[in-house]
Amino acid sequence: MNARRIAAMLGKESREILRDPITLGVALAMPLIMLLLFGYAISLDVREAPLGVLDLDRSPLSRQLVRQFTDTEYFALAETYTELGGVEEALRRGSVKLALVIPRGLARERQRREAPQMQILLDGTYSATANLLGSYARAIVAAADPVPPAIEVRTRVWYNPSLRSVNDVVPGLFGVILMAFPPLLTALAIVREKESGSIQQVFVSPLSGPEFLIGKLLPYGLIAFLQIAMVMAVGFLWFQVPMAGSLSLLLAAGGVYVLCTVGLGLLVSTLTGSQLIAMLLALIITLMPSFLFSGFLFPIFTMPYALQLYTAIFPARYFIDLSRGVVLKGAALGDLWLNLVLLIAYTAAVFALAVWRFRKKVA
Amino acid sequence: MAVRLAGLLAKEMIQFFRDRVMLVLILWLYTVEVVICTVALSFAVHDLPLALVDLDHSPASRALATAFAAGDAFRVTARPASETGATAALQAGAARAALIIPEHFTRRLARGEPAEVQLLVDGSNSTVAAQARAYALEIVEEHARDQAYRLGGPAARPPLGVALRSWYNPAADLERFTVLSMIALAALMVGVIHPAASIVREREIGTLEQLRVTPIGTAELFIAKTLPTLLMGLLAVFPSLLIARLFDVPLAGSLGLFLAYTAVFLGSAIGLGVLVAAIARTLQQALLLAFFGLFPLMFLSGTLAPVESMPEFLQRASVVSPLRHYMDVILGIFLKGAGLAELWPQGLALLAIGTALYAAAWAVFRREFE
Repeated sequence: MNARRIAAMLGKESREILRDPITLGVALAMPLIMLLLFGYAISLDVREAPLGVLDLDRSPLSRQLVRQFTDTEYFALAETYTELGGVEEALRRGSVKLALVIPRGLARERQRREAPQMQILLDGTYSATANLLGSYARAIVAAADPVPPAIEVRTRVWYNPSLRSVNDVVPGLFGVILMAFPPLLTALAIVREKESGSIQQVFVSPLSGPEFLIGKLLPYGLIAFLQIAMVMAVGFLWFQVPMAGSLSLLLAAGGVYVLCTVGLGLLVSTLTGSQLIAMLLALIITLMPSFLFSGFLFPIFTMPYALQLYTAIFPARYFIDLSRGVVLKGAALGDLWLNLVLLIAYTAAVFALAVWRFRKKVA
Repeated sequence: MAVRLAGLLAKEMIQFFRDRVMLVLILWLYTVEVVICTVALSFAVHDLPLALVDLDHSPASRALATAFAAGDAFRVTARPASETGATAALQAGAARAALIIPEHFTRRLARGEPAEVQLLVDGSNSTVAAQARAYALEIVEEHARDQAYRLGGPAARPPLGVALRSWYNPAADLERFTVLSMIALAALMVGVIHPAASIVREREIGTLEQLRVTPIGTAELFIAKTLPTLLMGLLAVFPSLLIARLFDVPLAGSLGLFLAYTAVFLGSAIGLGVLVAAIARTLQQALLLAFFGLFPLMFLSGTLAPVESMPEFLQRASVVSPLRHYMDVILGIFLKGAGLAELWPQGLALLAIGTALYAAAWAVFRREFE
């Protein structure tokens, strides 16, 4: 190891990054765009869903029912029909999400103490919205017909009492953004030299494998830290995400995680000599899992058991758990040590594997 | 012209289909990734780990506990003896919600007073928490209604019945949506990344320069660079169709219309890829730019979260995402059996987006190429 040689490599790599405004721009702007999109747009909640009504009863009761729907913020009356065909067509066109079908004789049956039945038709193509609208609708109908509640539920939501989605999206996003860029950038940086052949020149130079790697990886590690700092600043200051735990614990874990992501990039770079393939590989083994199989958006405990095991092989899950624990729950090392240990072990394993594969080529 | 184009096309085709690793990765995106995501991803909460604290130890409290354990929504993972135990389970993440049935629960019920139970929900995933709360309220409400109806005297009136029907997706799960959205997503990624990479690669190794001194024009280059991707994209749909079949996704509409729309959609994706290639100097830039463009398009398409739930300005911005229109098309054709009569606005939008992207790419390219 020679400090001067490392410095030379470092200088070359940094200059290359600084001279490529597109790469640098994407690396710095993209996390902010992701944060803004996620911060503003990830919500499954629906307001003012277009409602269609087919009222065949035309009684005070049926009118009151419709009013109870439109009085809430969840539904807005979009269309009324005179026959079932109109409802069908509107659902197919997608101009309403939910249609209320009130049969003739509803009010009369109710007076006779029979069990009257009305129908709610939902556009089920996007089930998450459909299920939510369905439960709102059920609640509205139930409220039209009150039964004295014998059991009262007092709910308290912990860690995020207002259920603001930004509060859990931002700490989760730390894990996703760090999986999106550092691995991709490192993998491309090394594979690029492979593709253009300049890596052969590095191999015949006095630069050793570790020196090359340190000089190569350090700038990307720095970019990763810059990204996380930006996301944290915007998250905590702009989106006002409260910080319940210790920032230093989060930063320390973030440091380990950055190493891990850079290590994954290195590993990808030893698998292929083509930048395009490196990018697709990075997409498949880092970005998509960190997005979909980390508990960031989709809860892991609802997945089938085999896929829960699949999620365990990607590190984003451990970090996101940890980051949410620190930010929202104020959890300390005592609660989170397992995640941290797993993360460190994972990082060590990835690095060992990557360096070993890389060394084989050099030596 | 035709001969030149044929020659160039043959070269592109050979190059494309010779790259085995690339083909495998594309197929992976279209098949394995679709299967994994469809099996795994669901917003619907079930088997939520619940800590149950019964401080009353009575038949009534046990009946309520049974109501919670019986449904799909919750799975009782811990039965701590006290509220502190429940708190610890939440903090450690061993439980996502806790139900606490206090002492004197039965006595209050017997006296006809409202009996209170406490529900603690871990809000660290707000979507899950909101659903957990709704499920718990529904379970308690139903349980209370059951009990009241059973004990109720002559005043008890049958409740207003609601038949809820989820059309186009009777199981009301995310499966069908995920299969179709993952297929669309794969088409978008391949459609953007591949042409961008293949053009910029030629620029990087200098062969674009060589093409420039041949009689080949911009139009011919465009066609030769985009046709293989278009072909591949259309062919890759077929294994995906098998997978859709596997998950019992019906094809209610016409296959021909679906393929036609897919071609138009791929066209707009490829247009974006060509535009990226026109701007980028190196492959690295091209790949990052492609990524930069893909992400918002994907985001604004409604594949991750419904567009209707977004703020107004993002809803308006979503009009430029070809994926958003294509999602309407693919869901409409497969699930609803929609035809051209319902889907023509999406077709026009896709054509407009594709044309605009091509025109922009053309303008940038011509400056360099001619």
